[in-house]
Amino acid sequence: MDATRKANLDRAFNPQVIAVVGDKKITDYMWLKSVRDAKAKVVSVQIDENEIPGILEMGFENYPSLADVPGQVDYVIVAVPRPVAPRIVKDAIDVGAGAAALFTSGFAETGEEQGVQLQDALTQMTHEANFNLVGPNCMCLYHSKTGIRNSADQWIGEGGDIGFMSNSGTHATSFVMRARTNGLFPLKSISMGNSISVDQGDWLEYLGDDPEVKSIGMYVEGTRDGRKFFEALRDVAARKPVVIWKGGQTREGARAAASHTGHLASDMALWDAMMRQTGAIRVDTQDELMDAFKALHFMKPFTGNRMGIVAQTGGQSVLVSDAFGREGLTVPDLTQESYDILEPIVTVVGGSYKNPLDVSGSLTSIERGREMLDTLAADTNTDIIVIEASIGFISRRLERQGKTMDDLIDMFKEFQESTGKPFGVIATWNQDEAALAEFRIKIADRGIAVFPSFQDAARAIRRLREYYVTKAEMAAG
Amino acid sequence: MGGVLVTATASALFDETAARARAEGRLILTEEESKAILQEQGIQVTMPTLASSADEAASAAENIGYPVVMKVSSREITHKSDVGGVKLGIADADAARAAYDEIVASAKAAEPSAAIDGVTVQSQAPSGGVEVIVGMTRDHQFGPVIMFGLGGIAVEVLQDVAFRIAPLTKRDAGAIVREIKGYPLLTGHRATQAVDLEALEGVIGAVSSFVSETSGVAEMDLNPVLAYADGTIAVDARIVLTAD
Repeated sequence: MDATRKANLDRAFNPQVIAVVGDKKITDYMWLKSVRDAKAKVVSVQIDENEIPGILEMGFENYPSLADVPGQVDYVIVAVPRPVAPRIVKDAIDVGAGAAALFTSGFAETGEEQGVQLQDALTQMTHEANFNLVGPNCMCLYHSKTGIRNSADQWIGEGGDIGFMSNSGTHATSFVMRARTNGLFPLKSISMGNSISVDQGDWLEYLGDDPEVKSIGMYVEGTRDGRKFFEALRDVAARKPVVIWKGGQTREGARAAASHTGHLASDMALWDAMMRQTGAIRVDTQDELMDAFKALHFMKPFTGNRMGIVAQTGGQSVLVSDAFGREGLTVPDLTQESYDILEPIVTVVGGSYKNPLDVSGSLTSIERGREMLDTLAADTNTDIIVIEASIGFISRRLERQGKTMDDLIDMFKEFQESTGKPFGVIATWNQDEAALAEFRIKIADRGIAVFPSFQDAARAIRRLREYYVTKAEMAAG
Repeated sequence: MGGVLVTATASALFDETAARARAEGRLILTEEESKAILQEQGIQVTMPTLASSADEAASAAENIGYPVVMKVSSREITHKSDVGGVKLGIADADAARAAYDEIVASAKAAEPSAAIDGVTVQSQAPSGGVEVIVGMTRDHQFGPVIMFGLGGIAVEVLQDVAFRIAPLTKRDAGAIVREIKGYPLLTGHRATQAVDLEALEGVIGAVSSFVSETSGVAEMDLNPVLAYADGTIAVDARIVLTAD
């Protein structure tokens, strides 16, 4: 992407004037509403007499065309019927907009002739004009700092530091929402749609060059130019973490090959290879995407694989060790020094003062919990510390001591800040689903990595460890 | 791969061979052609000598030294063992003469219309090597990619392979070897010795450099490459040209 196009994209993400073309009552004026809180002047372009009164009622100025909007238009959202779309994009080019995002669908994704032809026309027009078209068939752009959104339901505000790009509009939108409930702060989210003008490689490079973007995530189904994407990924992943959720994993490319190599080079095998060689973090579901970002943003970096674990569930030590062992993590013996501290305090019958600690009823106070965590963290045999908070069980226990969940979370936060080792909490269900949901949101809000199960924690920790090990290897040359 | 660039002679030989093959309407280079190019690229191969009679086969075998492997040579037969066109462990001149006649007869019986140039004779690589495959294919999205895995029959049955997008860095060449499940077979297992990983990574790097810096290769299999404690030998190889 050249400097002009990059500067134009910056202008669209930080607009002074936003024009929404073709918004309608039937969709509850979703696009005007998505940007009404933006730090920009928002105007409407609509010629349908039936729609204009509703738009004026909401307090927006309305113009019959983009050319009639006074001043420079920076960002255009286009939600017009398909046949009109090329004309509106042409207008956006003519008024010198930084970018236009085309919500309208029905192009090449339909596979039908008219859709393909219209998309070809748009491709040619935008390429000739060197113009940034987002989409078509997309949910447009999100920037928390300036208040432009994929959807009016998304959080906006200061402090975002994650960039996200997605082939699917749903995932571009929901990433932002889920990230916030997981304590994370999204900065930009791009719904790429058919990405005919700004492609996957361009977007990756754009987010890579944004100094406010600390980490990048993506949902991607494929790319038009794999080589360009690979080169962008190699460059960007060397500078900041990139988490990739690849859709279409079971799709096999049709390959007529005369070699074993040709037969075996499936689409997913090559994406997997690319992620390994660039140091990108692979995830396979949206849940794993969230877990990876929590581990990335809230846990201190680590290359070791030795877990120190406090479990509460009672008698599950073997299963807990299995969960971590499957991901190449170990649950080692502790030093005698640790045993000397732990043996007298893990007194419950059937409990264990050995790693994983099985404390159940021995967790008699918040101070006792802190003592266990401090002992594990001080032990020279551990690299990573996790504790299970069995919600229901633990909340009743806290209540009896006149404490609340907030007191427990305070202790976790203080421990996290005091220890040099990465720390995570596994919030498992135990009879109280509502309390569990509340706990997860509260603890995430404090910037503590919280996982729904031992298996999920183990997977996220393994992936992050692979990332930090690869990074160290690359730095060593 | 740092330092290993495509050699001028390998590139020139490839261009010349590819032009000749295309002129003959072929996109698949013969084993002899493929190995000659790879040898110029610094990869150890068992180089075949073409014999067009039983006597020539015997004299080639005498020159190479026993045991030898003999294979049917035909631009129209790509799966040589399927037509009874491969014989291993030939230990003397009489056996070489007999093998020549048997290979030609059985290939003709299996594929009567195929033109047979003769039979190639090559040194039989020592036993005790681990069979691996080093391959390349040109992906429609990513361009040239490199594959490594357990070779011979294992690649067809187990598909224990790993890929990297070319060109590979030194770290990539090390990592692709370690990624396969069969990696412990390469590091020494009970009675077997550890193989020369550096030499193996060198072969992967040489293939990566070659395909990254030449155009016209669509696919390539070096299968198997035998990996030993002190080096590697590619005992079969095939280069496939792009259709354009």
